[in-house]
Amino acid sequence: MSAEAMVFLFGVIVGAALLFVKVFFVILISDLEVDYINPIELCNKLNQFVLPEMFVHAFLSFIFLISGQWIATAWNLPLVAYNANKVMNGKHMFDATEIFRTLGQHKKECFIKLGFYLLSFFYYLYRMILALVNDS
Amino acid sequence: MATPPFGSQQQHQQHQQQQRPPPPMGSGIQQSAASPMIRPANLPPLGSPGMPRPFQSPQIQARPPPGQFANQGQQTAPGSPAINPVGFMSGPPNGQNRSQPTTPRMQHQQQQQQGPPTSHQLHQQHQQPLHLQQQQPLHHHEHPSQPPPPQLGQHQQQQQLHPPMGQELGLMAGPPTSTPQAGSQKPKRMYPTGINAYAEPTPAYEATPSNHGFQQHPGVSAHYQKGDMQQQPPAHAQGSQFFVPGEKQPPAFGQSVPAYQQGHQPLQGQPLQPNVNQLAGQMGGMNLGNTGYGGAQGIVPVSTVALMGSVPKIYDLDAPPPPIRLPETASITQSPFANCDPSYKRSTLNAIPATSQLLTKSRLPFGLVITPYRSVKEGDEPVPVVSDSIIARCRRCRTYINPFVKFVEGGQRWKCNMCYTLNEVPSSFDYDSVTQRPVDRWKRKELNHAVVEYIAPTEYMIRPPQPLVYMFVIDVSYPAIQCGMVATAATTILESLDRIPNDEGRTKVGIITVDSSIHFYNLKAASGEPQMMVVSDLEEAFLPQPQDLLCNLSECRPVLEALLNRMNDMFKDTQNVGNALGPALNSAYKLVSPIGGKILCLQASLPNLKAGALKMREDPKLLGTAKESTLLQSASSFYKILAVECSKSQVCVDMFLFGSQYSDVATLSCLPRFTGGSTFFYPAFTAAKSEDALKFAHELAEFLSQRIALEAVIRVRASKGLRMSAFYGNFFVRSTDLLSLPNVPRDQSYSIEVSYDDNLSIPVVCFQTALLHTSSSGERRIRVLTLALPVTTSLSELYASADQVAIATLLACKGVERGMNAKLDDARDALTNKVVDILGVYKTHMTASSSGATPNLQICDNLKLLPLLTLGMLKHVGLRGGSQIPSDLRSYAMHLLSTLPSQCLIPFLHPRFYSLHDMPEHCGAIGDQGIEMPQAMNLSSERLSRSGLFMLEDGQNIFLWIGRDAVPQLCMDLFGVPNYQSIRGGKTTLPTLETDFNQRVNLIVNKAREMRRTSYYSQLYIVKEDGDPALRLWFLSHLIEDRAEPIMSYYQYLGHLKDRVNSASF
Repeated sequence: MSAEAMVFLFGVIVGAALLFVKVFFVILISDLEVDYINPIELCNKLNQFVLPEMFVHAFLSFIFLISGQWIATAWNLPLVAYNANKVMNGKHMFDATEIFRTLGQHKKECFIKLGFYLLSFFYYLYRMILALVNDS
Repeated sequence: MATPPFGSQQQHQQHQQQQRPPPPMGSGIQQSAASPMIRPANLPPLGSPGMPRPFQSPQIQARPPPGQFANQGQQTAPGSPAINPVGFMSGPPNGQNRSQPTTPRMQHQQQQQQGPPTSHQLHQQHQQPLHLQQQQPLHHHEHPSQPPPPQLGQHQQQQQLHPPMGQELGLMAGPPTSTPQAGSQKPKRMYPTGINAYAEPTPAYEATPSNHGFQQHPGVSAHYQKGDMQQQPPAHAQGSQFFVPGEKQPPAFGQSVPAYQQGHQPLQGQPLQPNVNQLAGQMGGMNLGNTGYGGAQGIVPVSTVALMGSVPKIYDLDAPPPPIRLPETASITQSPFANCDPSYKRSTLNAIPATSQLLTKSRLPFGLVITPYRSVKEGDEPVPVVSDSIIARCRRCRTYINPFVKFVEGGQRWKCNMCYTLNEVPSSFDYDSVTQRPVDRWKRKELNHAVVEYIAPTEYMIRPPQPLVYMFVIDVSYPAIQCGMVATAATTILESLDRIPNDEGRTKVGIITVDSSIHFYNLKAASGEPQMMVVSDLEEAFLPQPQDLLCNLSECRPVLEALLNRMNDMFKDTQNVGNALGPALNSAYKLVSPIGGKILCLQASLPNLKAGALKMREDPKLLGTAKESTLLQSASSFYKILAVECSKSQVCVDMFLFGSQYSDVATLSCLPRFTGGSTFFYPAFTAAKSEDALKFAHELAEFLSQRIALEAVIRVRASKGLRMSAFYGNFFVRSTDLLSLPNVPRDQSYSIEVSYDDNLSIPVVCFQTALLHTSSSGERRIRVLTLALPVTTSLSELYASADQVAIATLLACKGVERGMNAKLDDARDALTNKVVDILGVYKTHMTASSSGATPNLQICDNLKLLPLLTLGMLKHVGLRGGSQIPSDLRSYAMHLLSTLPSQCLIPFLHPRFYSLHDMPEHCGAIGDQGIEMPQAMNLSSERLSRSGLFMLEDGQNIFLWIGRDAVPQLCMDLFGVPNYQSIRGGKTTLPTLETDFNQRVNLIVNKAREMRRTSYYSQLYIVKEDGDPALRLWFLSHLIEDRAEPIMSYYQYLGHLKDRVNSASF
């Protein structure tokens, strides 16, 4: 297996994990809307995933960067920058006191990220298969 | 119709009002303001529909004195339904678009008279055999106890047939106190001795006849003439002595008198009466003929008024909201209390648009202003309590049964008025199983009152009702001791121990003091002496002992008293400037959280150690810039996280902040904001000043003695199609429609925005607020407030039913929110834009001049003060631009803006301004409604006079402004000093002297402090005209009709609004 295939295999796995995390976010946020969960619990649950998710995503982008996958790097960079900006402004965490005021925003962001990870996932999968086919 | 005389009369009153106060600073402002005043007297407002004028006038008769408004407002709601009983008796109304043609009560009786059950009932019997067998015989018992509806109807009809229209009209507009009747009955003298003495006497003045002179004139017109003649001269007498009185003025006045008398005489006393009745009759006829569900949709008179060129009629600020025109059969019991009193809950729109498009088109804000736990003072109607724990609720939407549900199937079931589900009526509504006697369901309080309290059974408790817990966290660092806060607080707490609610002897109290270490006190020490335990490990502050830090008030009383007596002495030599508030709060939270309760923080220095340490971040360079709002946001997440934790364990935190320097109100007020607490701020507090100490002591004592509610949740339900979309106030939003409040203080207001899920196809919508709480006497209770409002499809009715006071309250909350989260500029722009939108839509759709430029701004009568109130917001400390306002003051003002109930918010935005030196004799004396206040004046410095004494109060502060030419007699009478120069300006207490004038002013000041439902104690300032410039400027900044750089004067603002309205299309 070539290095490229290995990198994209890692990408596929991480992409799938990120996908699951985002689905989890979306489900919990919808739960909040229909009042199955209270905002304090929601924030406690979600906040423990926020930083790991960003870190994992940044790490994946870094792997792409050092392995010279320029397209994949370029695709991921904007999100890394966006996340970094949010962390620097201290706005990355879910705030239980403001959650209902910002719910729409959070939901929109979650869906966009979900779509982004989904596209990434298929792209990594495609590149992995391509690399494997080229190998053999 | 006698339109012209009415018009001229009213305008003349304006005219007269204008002329009375002498023009002070005869500059350009005064000129520009004065000229439009006279002009409109002759010109009808351009483009106004023909109807409004006559409508405005009869109210002059019908309008009650201001004190009666509260009652009047309540009576109006049932008033309109009562018009119709004629139609209702002679048969079911035709064309009524509902499933329920007669009232349930009628149906009930019909059923009994018919005897055998109808097929409908048989069907019911089939379904519910047991139920009916039990209930059927009871109807016989029940029957006689019911008052037959026709009698009730007739009775009400007799009473109400004439008044309603008059009332409605009366509510719409017009001066309450300048009515001819009131005027002719009122003594016209205005502190004659005072004026003689205070205004430097002029010949004209001395010629004023003696006190009873005018009463000898028999004729009404003579009264009038005399009265007015007497009112006018002082103004001129005063006017002539300073500045240029304007050579023209006296002649103008002299000329106007004859014209005025001519216009007036036919209108006085009796002659107007027939007109009113005639009009009321006509309107009553209209309503009678209109039998559809459109009782609500009837012709609603919209009276358009022109804004520019007239002085804002500020007395309408106290007017009740526009009447709620419900269809006759909306309430099943025709109880006068069936709809919610505006002091508990009011809507910005008293007629709800049927579609969201209509609402969007009108651009009016739609929301509710709720004060569910307002205090009930003497004379107020107490909230009725349902104590038999029968709580009928809709099984689907959980709405509580209320006066607007419908009984169907012979009273066996009730139809929920929110979701239209059929529910069983509990059998205990008709039969008391304990006494085994039938009871009358129509007497049930929840069917007769819109505001009721249920005693909740155990299903409404997660745990036994908690006791009251007061945990004091007192700052004892050097600044706190130095400013005397600790001594004052300890004394006040000591003196208030008896006033702390402790009905069942369960109330618990604890004290923590904090400087660079945390001091706990064992209040149950065996020795009978308080035992102090010091924890200096701030990283992991632990509780030094598991119990006795929080003790039962009655048990630990002697130890507690000993501690409070000694507290100041213990720390009086401290040099410690540390303040570990964060760790202390954590410890307090640990102590209180198993039970829940209240943590009172008294802080005189900025927390500077460990968790929750704050930095001095005030930067004068940021003030007035777009970055300013960062200073209004929380600086540390510690307090927000703690607030969420507190909310979860039913702990409320209240902040008493004493700032000699920056105290970061913005960050520290986070805790009260999310835990249902209150913030009090005392800038530059020194207990050495007795006024400061008094204010703080009064507010703390009031606060401690408040009978608060505990572990509460608020849920607002609305009819299908409506949804609560945003919440403003001090609470934690726990779910999309559930507010959680660990404590509910008295008189805190919550604003809620409403939005549409669906269009409304129903004639009446209901809003029901349920406040589940534990009362301070340890009972679990549910307070239910039900407000029913008619639905309308007409834009004109929508506008005629808009409530400017509620709109201002909601807009203030939205403005504050915007100012905190975005920029203050945005907030101000948004406020102005909103007003421009409303005016623009009104112009386009409601007036003849739909498009193009118009020379004047027009709005319906009930919204005419909205621009003024908005201007008040723009000029308010909370939202005003400029780099002069410290962020602490701004934060505190914002806190007040978003929590004060309408009753206190309106004076906070638009202070009350009185002229005291020439007030009539009866002001300051005890009248029918307590101490009578002088008539409030417009907030403009042209009212000030150099020799006058004026009072301005906004519910937080009272200013006594004294002109530099105040005569020595006034100084002597009021302050006991020989002349103006010896009066000391600034924060002060008014001396109590033997003179009549001093006593009256003292009474008025006290009344101003007590007349509202609030625990704030207004601070009194004496402002000398040439005194401390800062204080003078502060006083002048309250005169919102004046130009205050960079914000426009009222007339400039109107001009600005007009330009915006004319340049845009709506």
